[in-house]
Amino acid sequence: MKKIERKDFLKIGGGAVLGGLTGYVFSGAPFLGMQWLFEWTQDQHVPPGGSESYLKTLCEACPDKCEMSIRMIGERAVKIETSHSGCPFGQNALQLLYHAERIDAPLKRTGKKGTVKASAFERVSWESALKDISVRMNKLIGEKKGHLIAGINKDYNLSAALLDRMLKAAGSSSAFYEPSLKSLTQAALGGYVDYDFANTDYILSFGARLLEGWGSPCAMNRAFVDWKKKGTKLVHVDTIRTRTASIADQWLPIKPGTEAVLALGIANILKRMGRAAGGYDWMAVVNAYTPEKTAEITGLQVKQIEEVANAFARARNPIAVAGRGGKGVSSSSAEIMAVYALNAMVGSRGAVLKRTAGLGEPALSANAAASLREAKRHAGLDDFIKNGNFEILFVNEADPLYKSAYGAELEGKLETALVVAVTPLLNDTALYADYVFPSLSFLEADTSAGSAPLKPYRKAIHAGDAIIGLAKMVDDIKGSFPWNAYVDLVKTYGAPIGAGGVNYNAQVLKEFLSSLEKTLKASEEFPLSLVPVELTFVGDGDGLAFPFVLKSIDEKTYSQGKLWVQINRDTADREGVSEGERIDIESSRGEIGSVRAHLTDTVAPDTIAVPLGFGHKAYTRYARDKGVNPKEIMANDIDPLTGAANWWLTRVKIS
Amino acid sequence: MAIDLDKCTGCGACAIACAQENNMPIFEDDSDIPKRVSFLELMKVTNDRDAKYPDVEVCYIPKMCQQCEGNDPKNPKPPCVSVCPVVATDVGDDGIVSQVWSRCIGCRYCQASCPYEARAFNWWKPRYEGDFKNSLNPEVSIASRGTVVKCQFCSHIWKRERDRAVENGVLDINAVTYTPACVASCPTKAFVFGDLNDPDSELCRLLEKEKDRKFRLVHTIDEKDEKTREKLMHIKNFPNPKVYYLTSKAWIREMMRFK
Ligand code: SF4
Ligand code: SF4
Ligand code: SF4
Repeated sequence: MKKIERKDFLKIGGGAVLGGLTGYVFSGAPFLGMQWLFEWTQDQHVPPGGSESYLKTLCEACPDKCEMSIRMIGERAVKIETSHSGCPFGQNALQLLYHAERIDAPLKRTGKKGTVKASAFERVSWESALKDISVRMNKLIGEKKGHLIAGINKDYNLSAALLDRMLKAAGSSSAFYEPSLKSLTQAALGGYVDYDFANTDYILSFGARLLEGWGSPCAMNRAFVDWKKKGTKLVHVDTIRTRTASIADQWLPIKPGTEAVLALGIANILKRMGRAAGGYDWMAVVNAYTPEKTAEITGLQVKQIEEVANAFARARNPIAVAGRGGKGVSSSSAEIMAVYALNAMVGSRGAVLKRTAGLGEPALSANAAASLREAKRHAGLDDFIKNGNFEILFVNEADPLYKSAYGAELEGKLETALVVAVTPLLNDTALYADYVFPSLSFLEADTSAGSAPLKPYRKAIHAGDAIIGLAKMVDDIKGSFPWNAYVDLVKTYGAPIGAGGVNYNAQVLKEFLSSLEKTLKASEEFPLSLVPVELTFVGDGDGLAFPFVLKSIDEKTYSQGKLWVQINRDTADREGVSEGERIDIESSRGEIGSVRAHLTDTVAPDTIAVPLGFGHKAYTRYARDKGVNPKEIMANDIDPLTGAANWWLTRVKIS
Repeated sequence: MAIDLDKCTGCGACAIACAQENNMPIFEDDSDIPKRVSFLELMKVTNDRDAKYPDVEVCYIPKMCQQCEGNDPKNPKPPCVSVCPVVATDVGDDGIVSQVWSRCIGCRYCQASCPYEARAFNWWKPRYEGDFKNSLNPEVSIASRGTVVKCQFCSHIWKRERDRAVENGVLDINAVTYTPACVASCPTKAFVFGDLNDPDSELCRLLEKEKDRKFRLVHTIDEKDEKTREKLMHIKNFPNPKVYYLTSKAWIREMMRFK
């Protein structure tokens, strides 16, 4: 046997080490090792695994009730999947569910109102919060001052219906809705319009940006796919070449704010075909708007107007759609009536007035009845903010401080009242709240199809339950709240019912037209028109709290701390403004400063398009202090029927 | 993949779904575009350089990694792959250009060489403050600071579907199909995703039918005849992307040329 010498031994040892090293390198272990090292040195988060499952729920944000499927890993929801491709907004649900600044318990104010710091609040129990508020309500109602309790809702939903009922039972007539497509049309027409987008063959949209967040977006998107297949014609009237205007088969580039005039001009042509709607006085106004006059005011051609009127009259089932904007809608009641009249004139079957069945009238206590007699009536929210007063205010998911053109006025009134904000995230209005009630995302709420897929976040509860809980503690109200929880009503609430006929108010129309005439007159001082645009996923502000929304904003809307407005090229030339320049925009109400100018011919001459949704004071660190809020300078004439400020068109100058 | 721009409304669902599915990092200010990390960019384009109001239009182009192939499908060489010194990015058998975050050393050569600006660099460590961590997808690893990331056609979803199929006794894993997150989320069904090698796939039939509407992002040789194309390919490697766009608008195709 050969003796192993020391040299050989070293060789073998060396070979083993070399082999081992080679093996180690090729095994990928160094890569893994490096990976662990990186993960460890960078304190990198590794998402925990778990068993996969899918939970089902319905999205009840709109009548379409899309089926949603939630991908779960263990207890964690990691993805929203829609089963039949519907809504673009469902995708944000997880960012709300797990938001870093989600409110986890009822908050009571300890610091000064209007401060952004979370330290301005302390966490309290539901019992103590409801108790404190109910004591204040009992006192006010006992003094027959129930009319000084008011409420502002965001959407028409169950919790809003419960709040309305609570206010009524307290003897208040101050239950308001933020201006929206539904609330504005309801105020103008006596019901919201249920358009049959699936079966129409001709759509005439008066500034309604149908594919940019308008109405119920998932229904609109689904209808759009169908229109293309069936050859439904979309004619869109707008001042800006928006995406809806680009998709439309025909676009009528109208002078800003003159949509109502175009509707009257078309009515004038329809009338000559022997069609009518509205009374004698109304038709007398229509008579005045000949195609020539309409063309002059709207900037369209006589031929264009006649063609559209003829096509509209000839179509099998045409619909005329009112409600300018995407998510944020602003149309005067006169305009909504004038557009709806076109449907009536051609006997459209695709535009039916509906109402949502409420919870019925509550029985009034003697105190409540007495205070109701004292109550001042207001046509709508902005009218109330400007002219009304209140001692207790409930804000149900709404953010009027941010969204209303009367935000500044509201601020002053919130300082002195007891304000209760119901919201999952601290929005601008909640900065002035004395109590904040954390509410749920739709993934945590029961639906008509069954119970909620996910448990409520920490101490958050359904807004409806907070209201029922409170109502049961108020002596004069509790009799009107026989329910134990909102789930008792989920299945039955919300059925649409028919609405009565429209009262075409000629007086309101005339007043609107004369004020429009004044606005349109080119003034030396304010030569330009300011109109809003929206990014669908930002909407009129609700999207901005979500980081993934911020990631999707394009560079000519908002980036690196700069908000961009769009100006027509020739107009910018004339005003001496170049691309990217910093400008200030001033209206008779005030000034918004330091926005950047983007020169583009997608905007009409003499017009500036400003994005909505930016310039929050709060609404989480993601939305706060990004850009400016144009509502601060937008027009604020209050509409007599909707009680909302008509902010769509504002005369401005730039410097 | 094919994306029908005539159907895209610019709603943003695809971009948000992509971010959710792929654990996009959350930074202090994600609206800050130069520092932003995202896989899918929703580009807004208009023809207003050549047209005046009112003859203008706007359109959105959802743009992600175009999964380039290079001149030779048998030996795929996307611009980004050939420059990577550590093989952090490569082309798989499925034709998807992969990127392994943890292997990336952050030299950013690939980012510089990508003609479609489809890659993003993590300048910071992602911050999933508070409960945001809860919605992270365990199938996509979190990228470290200092690495380049990009869309991989959600190939982790393919793996998910494959595992499911295998569990159900399917043996031919090549038959497994899947839907990327952006494709599934689009409310107007603007995306069609499928196998470009299978002439019977919905995708191939669509591209065959839509010869007049289809184009690829800035890919000049698509317009040349076969001979010129071949000649050019001897001189230079072209990206040859696997994402096709459809549009009926001439100005969009025009815009996609180098001028
Ligand atoms: S698009 Fe860019 S990242 Fe994607 S394969 Fe092509 S070169 Fe690579
Ligand atoms: S395929 Fe997946 S990773 Fe790529 S853009 Fe779509 S969702 Fe994002
Ligand atoms: S989801 Fe579809 S419609 Fe919406 S932006 Fe993306 S591609 Fe366009």
